[in-house]
Amino acid sequence: MANKVESSTEMPNHLETATFEGKNKVLGFWLFLGAETVLFACLFGTYLALRNQSLGGPTTHELFDLKLVALATALLLTSSLTSVLAMIKMNQRSMKGMVTWLVITLLLGLGFLVLEIYEFQHYVHEGHTFMSSAFGSSFYALVGTHGAHVTFGIIWITTIMSQAIRRGINTDTAPKLFVSSLYWHFIDVVWVFIFTLVYLLGKVG
Amino acid sequence: MAKENNQAISQKPAGAMKHILSFVFMIAFTAAAFFVVISDKVPSGWVVPLLLIFAVIQVILQLFTFMHLDQKGSAFYTIFIVFGIFVAVISAVGILLM
Repeated sequence: MANKVESSTEMPNHLETATFEGKNKVLGFWLFLGAETVLFACLFGTYLALRNQSLGGPTTHELFDLKLVALATALLLTSSLTSVLAMIKMNQRSMKGMVTWLVITLLLGLGFLVLEIYEFQHYVHEGHTFMSSAFGSSFYALVGTHGAHVTFGIIWITTIMSQAIRRGINTDTAPKLFVSSLYWHFIDVVWVFIFTLVYLLGKVG
Repeated sequence: MAKENNQAISQKPAGAMKHILSFVFMIAFTAAAFFVVISDKVPSGWVVPLLLIFAVIQVILQLFTFMHLDQKGSAFYTIFIVFGIFVAVISAVGILLM
């Protein structure tokens, strides 16, 4: 272990794990992601158990519009790629490249959020609300928690990016940027399951 | 050690390519999942297992390329997330069958 730390400080190809503190940050963040996985799994389990209890309101089949979901998926998947490209630029110490990719990531994330807000508003007009049925409650709890994560991710990446612009890319800011990028990928992983188990499965029956 | 470092440097441009390739695969699996649901050609018994397989492949791609679990020294990260997934599956299936 100690040997690894030394070798990476000699030649920090990965700036985020170049220091012991950076290594610990990334390690701790993976532990957090493990816990987040369980949080979302519980919401998924609840949704899948209750998704047919629509209490006379619109069912999954009537409600979901796959075109909108496809667009949202494309936005979030692309933002995941731009986020990883930003991290490559960060490790090449290219501030301009990194900020460019991060801004694109943020814009795609914002686009996703706008789509989701539009979608929720549309559903509420259709009579599908948090209070209307067990299906409604579990749907908004699951997809809403994901949306809240996206919102938090946008705020987080914005603040960390502005800090990096002021302080430069160094062993202090790099782990923070890297960890926020991991968080963003995790949001995308959760979305893969939401669009599969919520939207596509809702269309299957 | 020096040899290893040189290799790591020379792999840098390939790194971006790897991610883009992984992204293309993820888009392809997403499109395939949509296709399976939209088209009537797939037998109904196959739809759900196929969707799950596509989702799992995408998550593996995401974890090992975008989230860098394929890099050296990420054994502990893998242990944490795999344990998380283990508990997550038990929780989800448990709630479903309750």
